[in-house]
Amino acid sequence: MLVSTPAIILHAFPYGDTSKIVRLATRDLGVQSVIAKGAVRPKSPFGARLQAMSEGTAHLYHRSHRDLQTLSAFDVTNQHASLAAEMRRYAAAAALAELVLRFAHEEPQPVVYDGLAGALAALSEVPSEAVPYAALAALWHEIVLLGFAPTVDACVRCRGTLADRTPFSLAEGGLLCARCGRGAGGGALRGDDRAALHAFAAGRWDAPPLPAPHLAAHRRLLVRFIQRHVADDRAMPALAFWEGLT
Amino acid sequence: MSVIEELTAELAKLPGIGRKTATRLTYHLLKQPAATVTRLAETIRAVGERVHPCTVCGNLSEVEPCPICADPRRDGSVVCVVEEASDIGPIERTGAYRGLYHVLGGRLSPLDGVGPDDLRVDALRSRLGNGSHVREVILATNPSMEGEVTATFVRGVLAATGVRVTRIALGLPMGGELEYADGVTIARALAARREMGEG
Ligand SMILES: [Zn+2]
Ligand SMILES: [Zn+2]
Repeated sequence: MLVSTPAIILHAFPYGDTSKIVRLATRDLGVQSVIAKGAVRPKSPFGARLQAMSEGTAHLYHRSHRDLQTLSAFDVTNQHASLAAEMRRYAAAAALAELVLRFAHEEPQPVVYDGLAGALAALSEVPSEAVPYAALAALWHEIVLLGFAPTVDACVRCRGTLADRTPFSLAEGGLLCARCGRGAGGGALRGDDRAALHAFAAGRWDAPPLPAPHLAAHRRLLVRFIQRHVADDRAMPALAFWEGLT
Repeated sequence: MSVIEELTAELAKLPGIGRKTATRLTYHLLKQPAATVTRLAETIRAVGERVHPCTVCGNLSEVEPCPICADPRRDGSVVCVVEEASDIGPIERTGAYRGLYHVLGGRLSPLDGVGPDDLRVDALRSRLGNGSHVREVILATNPSMEGEVTATFVRGVLAATGVRVTRIALGLPMGGELEYADGVTIARALAARREMGEG
């Protein structure tokens, strides 16, 4: 059955002499692996369209019991070329693609797709100084949409009210109230940092400006959260690459 | 495992060759005269033993340094940066470029675990160090998303050197590989190269 769906290319690599395997986030079919036959040939109708991060409409022959679908055509609406002009934009987009590739399903998850599309647009377009915030918002929000939300509005252990200074429990995946947080190790979030975490989890990058060391701490917290609660300690090379960029 | 199975398994590891083609190649070789098979085996062995990356530019060569680096008629003030040694051939065939090369050995691809440390960027920087005659570095990485990002990255690393950095003009829609572009396109892209801003 020929299906057309909004789609974003997460990853593409050569297959055989002339084809490409493309991993797509699609709005209607979830994450799909497709083969683009002959895509590497100079005169291929796919031309230069199968680039990572390109957004458009995928036309594919879909059979539900098959692991590898066949891509018939891909119409690009946005190449997100500006991502490539700045390492931090691209690194965040790659980490986001990795997250979706690994943890989205083959079933339709339109909110996951829309979150990805919105985040890629933000990462392509925000002014340079907002990139670190857009990156944190993109990744935290996608984690929430994938169903791994951190608890940030009440104590993760007792649901009690949060004090001004709240430790984040990595083990439990959320903030702790004053009573539960007594003696807890690690850094505590307060004021602007907590507001920023709230904003990021909601996909908002217009958080109050934070000093560089706080932004670095936010990146560290996010990466550790993903490793512990999403990735089960499996390697996430694109995420590590993003965290390593300063 | 029989030696037939072994050969099929080895051939199937090559890019573009699946199980079926590997089996067909194996049985094709079995039908050839012994001398033909021996010649093929020996050529493969010779390539493995004699061909090495040039320690200067990373081009694959039987001699050290490679013939391009060793050629006094080449223009030592320009270095063209490519992803793979196989990208040099298409540029050479245009006849439009007389400078030197630098092979990165890949392109940034965080999803595949290929990071800056996997590319020969430090070697490039040292080529531009003290006493260098290099005045211009042309970034000729592929016009793909990863190739563009790699160019951005190398441009950033070279910023401190003060050397002029340009990017070949393959333009939008970007895509495809240098390897498959025709000579006219490559020559035109080289001629129309432009100053690359810092990213
Ligand atoms: Zn509590
Ligand atoms: Zn050389």
